[in-house]
Amino acid sequence: MTTNRPDNTTHPPQTDQTPSIPTANDGSTATSRSTPASTINANARGNKTIVNSNTSTDSPAHDSTAAEASSDAKTDEMLLTVENLKTVFDTDDGTVHAVDGIDFTVQRGETVCIVGESGSGKTVTSESITQLFKSPPGSIADGSVVFDGIDLASRTEDELTDIRGARISHIFQNPQGALNPVYTVGWQLIEAIQLHRNVDDDAAREDAVDLLNRVGIPEASSRLDDYPHELSGGMKQRVMIAMALACQPDLLIADEPTTALDVTIQAQILTLLRELQADFGMSIVFITHDLGVVAEIADRVVVMYAGKVMERGSVYDVFESPSHPYTKALLECLPGRGSLGGIPGSLPDPTAPPTGCRFADRCPYAVEECTVGEQPVFESVGGEARDEDIEHEVSCVHYRSAADPSVLDQLDADRSSVPQERPSGRTVGTRDGEGGVARE
Amino acid sequence: MGKGVSPVSDQSGAARTEAPLLSVRNLTKHYPITTGLRSKEVGRVRAVDGIDFDVYPGETVGIVGESGCGKSTAASSLIRLEEPTEGTVRFDGEDITRYDQAELKAFRRRVQMIFQDPESSFDPRMSIGEAIAEPLAVQGLTDASRRREIVVDLLERVGLAAGDADRYPHELSGGQKQRVGLARALSMNPDMIIADEPVSALDVSIQSEILALMTDLQESFGLSILIISHNLAVIRQICDRVAVMYLGEIVELGTASEVFTNPQHPYTRALLASIPTADPTDRGTGIELTGDVPSPSNPPTGCRFHTRCPELIQPDDYAFEQSVWRRVMDLRQKLDGGTVDVDAIREGVVTEREPSETPDDVSATETKARLRDEFAIPQSLGDSRAESVLEAALDDLVSGNPAAARERLATEFATPCESQSPTLEDATAGQTASCLRLENELPPTELEQTVRSD
Amino acid sequence: MAVDNEPRETFEDVDWDDIDETTRSFSRKTIVTIGVYVLFAVGLLYDYVLKPSRADTIEPLGISLQALDWLYILTLLTILVGVVVPLYENGRMTRYYWQQFRKNRAAVASLLYLGVIFLIGSIGPRFLEQPTVDSSNAYQPPVFTSAPNWLPVECAGEVAGGSCHGTWAHPFGTTHEGKDILVSVIYGMEVSMQVGLIAALITITIAAIVGVSAAYFGGWIDAALMRYVDIQITFPTFFLYLMIVYLYGGSLFSMIVIFGLLGWGGIARIVRSEALQRREEEYVLAAKNAGASGYWTMRRHLLPNVSNSVITAVTLLIPGLILFEASLAFLGLGDPTVPSWGEVIASGRNDLPNAWWVSTIPGIFLFFTILAFNFVGDALRDALDPRAEGGDQ
Ligand code: SF4
Ligand code: SF4
Repeated sequence: MTTNRPDNTTHPPQTDQTPSIPTANDGSTATSRSTPASTINANARGNKTIVNSNTSTDSPAHDSTAAEASSDAKTDEMLLTVENLKTVFDTDDGTVHAVDGIDFTVQRGETVCIVGESGSGKTVTSESITQLFKSPPGSIADGSVVFDGIDLASRTEDELTDIRGARISHIFQNPQGALNPVYTVGWQLIEAIQLHRNVDDDAAREDAVDLLNRVGIPEASSRLDDYPHELSGGMKQRVMIAMALACQPDLLIADEPTTALDVTIQAQILTLLRELQADFGMSIVFITHDLGVVAEIADRVVVMYAGKVMERGSVYDVFESPSHPYTKALLECLPGRGSLGGIPGSLPDPTAPPTGCRFADRCPYAVEECTVGEQPVFESVGGEARDEDIEHEVSCVHYRSAADPSVLDQLDADRSSVPQERPSGRTVGTRDGEGGVARE
Repeated sequence: MGKGVSPVSDQSGAARTEAPLLSVRNLTKHYPITTGLRSKEVGRVRAVDGIDFDVYPGETVGIVGESGCGKSTAASSLIRLEEPTEGTVRFDGEDITRYDQAELKAFRRRVQMIFQDPESSFDPRMSIGEAIAEPLAVQGLTDASRRREIVVDLLERVGLAAGDADRYPHELSGGQKQRVGLARALSMNPDMIIADEPVSALDVSIQSEILALMTDLQESFGLSILIISHNLAVIRQICDRVAVMYLGEIVELGTASEVFTNPQHPYTRALLASIPTADPTDRGTGIELTGDVPSPSNPPTGCRFHTRCPELIQPDDYAFEQSVWRRVMDLRQKLDGGTVDVDAIREGVVTEREPSETPDDVSATETKARLRDEFAIPQSLGDSRAESVLEAALDDLVSGNPAAARERLATEFATPCESQSPTLEDATAGQTASCLRLENELPPTELEQTVRSD
Repeated sequence: MAVDNEPRETFEDVDWDDIDETTRSFSRKTIVTIGVYVLFAVGLLYDYVLKPSRADTIEPLGISLQALDWLYILTLLTILVGVVVPLYENGRMTRYYWQQFRKNRAAVASLLYLGVIFLIGSIGPRFLEQPTVDSSNAYQPPVFTSAPNWLPVECAGEVAGGSCHGTWAHPFGTTHEGKDILVSVIYGMEVSMQVGLIAALITITIAAIVGVSAAYFGGWIDAALMRYVDIQITFPTFFLYLMIVYLYGGSLFSMIVIFGLLGWGGIARIVRSEALQRREEEYVLAAKNAGASGYWTMRRHLLPNVSNSVITAVTLLIPGLILFEASLAFLGLGDPTVPSWGEVIASGRNDLPNAWWVSTIPGIFLFFTILAFNFVGDALRDALDPRAEGGDQ
């Protein structure tokens, strides 16, 4: 990465105003949770300047705030549009179709959760946005990733480097791995700031303190001189978030950021992310396997299975009327719901994905047409949507216009009337479980 | 610390007639902190600090708590994978802490353990079959063909195939490895299995498979299970009784249904409130524990939870809103820790001002306002007497006399939670908890009510 | 595998009291292994104690075994027991390693080359006479090449146009003393293999034992062993060897033993740090939970899992030793009785302008042998890492 970014024509030039990081004290202080829109120092359309409250009035008209963006979603273009994305990995065992033609969109200021089990391709999806995966063996085989009007899928590595970290930031599951143990937290944070902005050491240090304050690290100025090992897991994840925010990204990609943390700390981090989103107006793509976390933070949900999207819609629709058989099964697995036993069967072989619906050989509702042709096209679920801007769609034959989705409910009723045929016989003797091959 | 209370009496309903299989009393594990060449002890990490509980035959008991609360250390020291510092552990009536090496080796057959990390719990250079057969070989079953037969049988019982015996750990998925872990534990035909976070590294759908398998096996072989987890949902799903640990101590113990529907200890309530629910209409339940678990090498005085407790008992003479009281206490604790830096606060104010100003230009009023902001304390407390105490303390602080501020707050805003240690008390039938609120029969706070009891 | 309707033994059937009572029995493999070493010890005993000194070890065949040969036999036995047999037993793992190893073409070729060198080096000296001084035969050029006619005392091949052409009688030509270079090179192969393998085996045996025990036991054992290693590493082994050369004359045996016994410090440190990490793995705890002793844990878990770094270190160590022996021989500090590559190279250094082949040919062998060990080492390191496995993306 270069400190002096060449003036890139792919997005609007930056204003030369020195951006300042909004701190907890610019008016949105402790009440930030309840006042999401009024004090947003949001940026839009790639204009990298965080607008200070005193300049926002005379800033160009197209500087819409995130609040406007979400309330006015139909007219505003999407921040990120992923279409027919296919990411493959060439391995010894053949070509792994990790992500196999998926579509989803992210609006400005919105949180999109991509949810699925290991092997569903959710992490690869997140890495495909800025092509973070190792290449080779990985490559984007098809499709487009349009971020703020730029198709990232066709960019060169150098151009992507400019965008990574500057406009799209990542945070990862394991903060240990992402922080360098031999440098202080402050050193790394200041480096991250100076990588993207041309500021001197003192200014960068001040910004670093502000950032740490902002992510809720107490006594920020003394924490700067701590080494990563002196911080707890939750604190490290906060530092990671601070580093991701250093460049005031438009899009934050969080890959299982709370999975390694305790529930109490997880709750803190989720709250923090919500607050930061309200303050910075950024969009978040949140990868997780935990449906509880999804319900906690998502606006929009994308359910993935074996490299395909199974269901997508607003968080309310997906949780209130889960429509795809896979989504239903996942929700059943939640402790305290439904029966013990998981989803019988295993993920299909990603080197030779089956025809028809990917979920067919584990799906209790599968019918003959499920195993022919392609993954069923998206159909609208219909019914009343909680959030009318976000369509609730599923990829399942039972939702085709000719079909009647109520057969699912019918089948449910039938199955529950047959008392408990599965639990005991299943686990002992049969070979269910996930995958014959270890693929995380 | 549970002394004087017999956890045996905590059974719900009719008292158990049978004797406990495992009975732990005052189990303690301290790690000395040493310095210098002579390894002089300068302190102790009190990982487990005197815990008592029982496990009955065929029962599933869960230990739950945040990381660092000592739950894993408790598990490994109670079967002497690490030597406990103090306490007795009776297994089937015999005190295993007195066993010699030979007796201990024979005892190993009766209690087996399942580990958390499916990646690291198998030797990458041993095939699955060898790994399952290892305990058999260690215990002296030298006949390889007999071992092989047992392995094949075990693999099928945990839902894998005989052919998997020749595969290597890296060829198996996490869930399959955890099945192998169960097979390895079963190979000794144990009476009890200790599972340390058996599913926390797995996907939800696989978690429930493994938990189902565990309950199946428990039924078929009459096993007792002690399960350690930070995941309350898992504990709730399969446990008969639950112990909640915080900083090396058990703070609440009772039947799973009681503990989860009617938690008695503020910590349990906070833990329950932090579990994300799969209901998007129900976000952020209100109770959020601030900060991290304090270091077990220097646990807080009084109730160990008092540095984070949202239901901290208020001083008698003042009336606070409970959440404000918590934040005032946060300020007090920071002051006691000597980490409130008034100069940094002034600098913080200056950074938002004209560049010409210096920290000296910041007035005392502004600094105090900023201090309150930092701790999210409202600019004026509801109770005017409390307000004047706080204001006076802030004045002390701003005028460069933190000791006086500390002193003033400590005498005026004292809470019994920082000085008295609560003991495990019977809260309701079949449930014990250690909280001064229960001992003093104080009414529940408003926060307590927000935890749904479903 | 198992026929279902036949009742088979399950874990519930094991009668542990019965097993506890039977005294420890040994598996067949253990018995065979011990037998092999006992046989070796008996042979050694016979050679040094029972048989009349000066007599050949195996009289009728006229084979006489020196100390170095005994050591070499022990080394080969140990490689057989410790490397070949386990590889054969764990067929699946071996095939997997081989698949990984095969990806590196250069390494496969190197392995082949080393195999050939080993075979020729082991068999050749049994059938070929040691090269002897024969001044009438000096300076014969290799086959297909020629040298000016004045150079060889007596050209063995045909003489044409003032040049002496090489013959198949001396395919690699001869030295200024008339020693056949091919035979010297073949003897040199054995020497190099002996140096590399024996010294490496001594080194890694000690290093592995010291490193693993230091890591496993920790405490004062660890401290004592590692302080000793610190001292040993600073010990001037080379001067010790020089002194021995000065006092008793150069000897391959003493060279190998000295460098084997004093050169393991660095590897022991690597083994220790690796074993320290492995000790924290849950499978070690699982073994303890099964009642395993310290010896079991070290033997079954720690040792196999540090083999990665040991093998890496060894593949660097062996070429180093071979090169070192060659340099000593080159400087005339080697064993005058063994025709090592270094010695042949040295003997040709004054003749380079005219008889280029004397130094060059053994030099080429030396070069490729060292290169081959390095290639093989690289590929082994990649192949042996069980975690860097190709199944995931
Ligand atoms: S398309 Fe068929 S197999 Fe796929 S989810 Fe729908 S019913 Fe099941
Ligand atoms: S004793 Fe006090 S600090 Fe401890 S849990 Fe009870 S109310 Fe909270």
